[in-house]
Amino acid sequence: MAKEVVLPRVDMDMATGKMGRWFVAEGERVREGQLLFEIATDKAAMEVEAPASGLLRGVRAKAGDELPVGAVVGWIVGEDEEFDPDMQALAGELRALLAPSASRAEAPARPAPPASSIAPDERGRASPLARRLARERGLDLAEIAGSGPNGRVQARDVEFREPPAGAEPQRAGAGETRLNRAWLQTGEGAPLVFLHGFGADLNGWRPLVRHLPTPRPAFAVDLPGHGGSPLVGEGSLSALVALTREALAEEGIDAAHLVGHSLGAAVAAALAAEAGFRALSLMLIAPAGLGPEINWAFLAGFLRARSAASLTPWMRLLAVDPASLGAGLVETALRQREEGGLLEAQTRLARALFPDGVQAFGVRHLLADPAIPTKIVVGAEDEIIPSRQCEGLSGRIAIHRFAGVGHMPHLEAQREVARLIEELARAGG
Amino acid sequence: MPQAMRELTFAEAIREALAIALEADERVVLMGEDIGVYGGAFQVTGDLVERFGENRVIDTPISELAGAGVAVGAALTGTRPVYEFQFSDFSMLAMEQIVNQAAKIRYMLGGAVHVPVVFRMPTGSGLGGAAQHSQSLEAWFAHVPGLKVIEPSTPHDVKGMLLSAIADPDPVIVFEHKLLYKVKGPVPEGDYRVALDKAALRREGRDLTIVATGIMTHRALEAAAILAGEGVEAEIVDLRCLRPFDGETIVASVKKTTRLLAVYEGVKTLGLGAEVSARVAESEAIDYLDAPILRLGGVEAPIPYSPVLEKAAVPQVEDIVAAARSLAQGRA
Repeated sequence: MAKEVVLPRVDMDMATGKMGRWFVAEGERVREGQLLFEIATDKAAMEVEAPASGLLRGVRAKAGDELPVGAVVGWIVGEDEEFDPDMQALAGELRALLAPSASRAEAPARPAPPASSIAPDERGRASPLARRLARERGLDLAEIAGSGPNGRVQARDVEFREPPAGAEPQRAGAGETRLNRAWLQTGEGAPLVFLHGFGADLNGWRPLVRHLPTPRPAFAVDLPGHGGSPLVGEGSLSALVALTREALAEEGIDAAHLVGHSLGAAVAAALAAEAGFRALSLMLIAPAGLGPEINWAFLAGFLRARSAASLTPWMRLLAVDPASLGAGLVETALRQREEGGLLEAQTRLARALFPDGVQAFGVRHLLADPAIPTKIVVGAEDEIIPSRQCEGLSGRIAIHRFAGVGHMPHLEAQREVARLIEELARAGG
Repeated sequence: MPQAMRELTFAEAIREALAIALEADERVVLMGEDIGVYGGAFQVTGDLVERFGENRVIDTPISELAGAGVAVGAALTGTRPVYEFQFSDFSMLAMEQIVNQAAKIRYMLGGAVHVPVVFRMPTGSGLGGAAQHSQSLEAWFAHVPGLKVIEPSTPHDVKGMLLSAIADPDPVIVFEHKLLYKVKGPVPEGDYRVALDKAALRREGRDLTIVATGIMTHRALEAAAILAGEGVEAEIVDLRCLRPFDGETIVASVKKTTRLLAVYEGVKTLGLGAEVSARVAESEAIDYLDAPILRLGGVEAPIPYSPVLEKAAVPQVEDIVAAARSLAQGRA
């Protein structure tokens, strides 16, 4: 079926956009993720990638056209698919009429949304708390049924909803280099900064954060090529660190307790050693970067899998009790497989970080003489990164080895790890 | 095992504070209509005239303007008068002395003098006093810079706060709800002080914050007990101090509970609840609110004489229960 190519929203305030040049001509073949066209905004030209592979057909916008966000500018169709641009446009408009709440990006007839991210009619029907929670979780209030008077959305209507696929408010557009980020919790004192592992995203921390004994502010980013963040930089550890640091600086975080898992732990350890950033404590959960081996069969299988059937056996390797992972992780992984580009980005990242199935980066030397309170949490049954890699570091680093736990201690032993994070944060002041 | 603290009524606690102050500081004098041999309109001063004599416990003529003026003048010349109004309503006659003189003299003389006077004001409805003897005028005075305004709700607090007020170098207005005079509570022996600028958390709860003052604190606590039976846990903040106003305690509580109900006896419009809600609306707590802020105040009318109407004119326990329930259940 023909896939619509739409003018995406690349800026929160954007209601219309000006078409820039096309990189692909009518009828030419494109690959998913290939540069397709440019949008000219006030600030810069933004590049838009092809949402699917096929032939570009029915181009109906040219450079200089001013169009509402979500307008269809063309279609990508299969090699031998019948295609009539007028019929396609009609079908799109019919769909929009029949499903008025359908996503903005696919509704060409929908008028451009107002400049603010909250429409005036939504303002009146959500409590301030519900609005804040929705903002933090990237939820669209318009899609939430309110249980209060006159349908007012209240916190309880928002609280247990996980963010929908690709709906993070600061989701990066094409050409964007900002990392997606979110405050998972607010509170008093220095923030905890959470950095997820390879193939995960920031939402994976939410179950753990709920168990933190005291309400400290908790902040998380999506690493490049994960969640709502584009793959930018050359895919090296130092590039990951630099981009993470940039995201923290933009949020005004110059001192924090760092909590990282797996690849995120290596990022955390390297970030802690950066001059100018003040790490208050360091919590490394099943850290990468301490030795050469990593389960390459897992990585390769994980990246190859395209369905729940092929993915699930690999996900089972992550934890001793796979039920402890919750539905969220598998869903996140599956969602990534539906979204164009993310899996390819991760494959590229894996090739750079783990060439020939080896951890090509190392943070051991950074942990020889820790200046801040540091803990390492590993699962004795870890099948992804051998837990023995945490041996032989400074005696000042506390090693917590959980029996009956695999590569995901923050999910498999949530309460205990939350308590250790609290202990460490207290020690770090 | 520690001994249970003795209990006094609210009126006895006030009398004890006055006696301690009279005993400790010879500059302290009591003034007011019928506070001597008669013992005060609500029998608060009681036998103090017998214990301290007519030079320390002074009956003044039936002129609030004259009495308050003498008290302000005496304060300026080095004594520490405590002037009792029979009813806070009668302070209207003395507004010039309280608002234009006591509150402003220190400011206008560049801090060269202080006016260490205390005005005690029996306040509120519930005793059939009708329109001119039942008002709640706290907000009037709390609006005036230069005054300190307090409204204690327990015998413990009224003793400690009155002692703080008498020791304070500036004019302090003490609102005493008439229905509280016979309420008993634990009161420590001897001299102790309670600060004049800090609200008190009377009950912890997770579902909503009720900010109340004076008699309304007791009604809110009664309501909270009923609500607890329904699974609604109300947090009760006893405002206690109206000027200076402790917004921080309210903001901290609302950030925890996400809902706010202000309960006060004065007329609802432009009353204490307006300040309570504004403090939250202006603070970071706005992003924690999960429901509109509600106010329960007195009706927009004079207090009626009819006991049935008098009761209906100000918030009662069942009104607080109903408002809190709808707030906590997300129906407000």
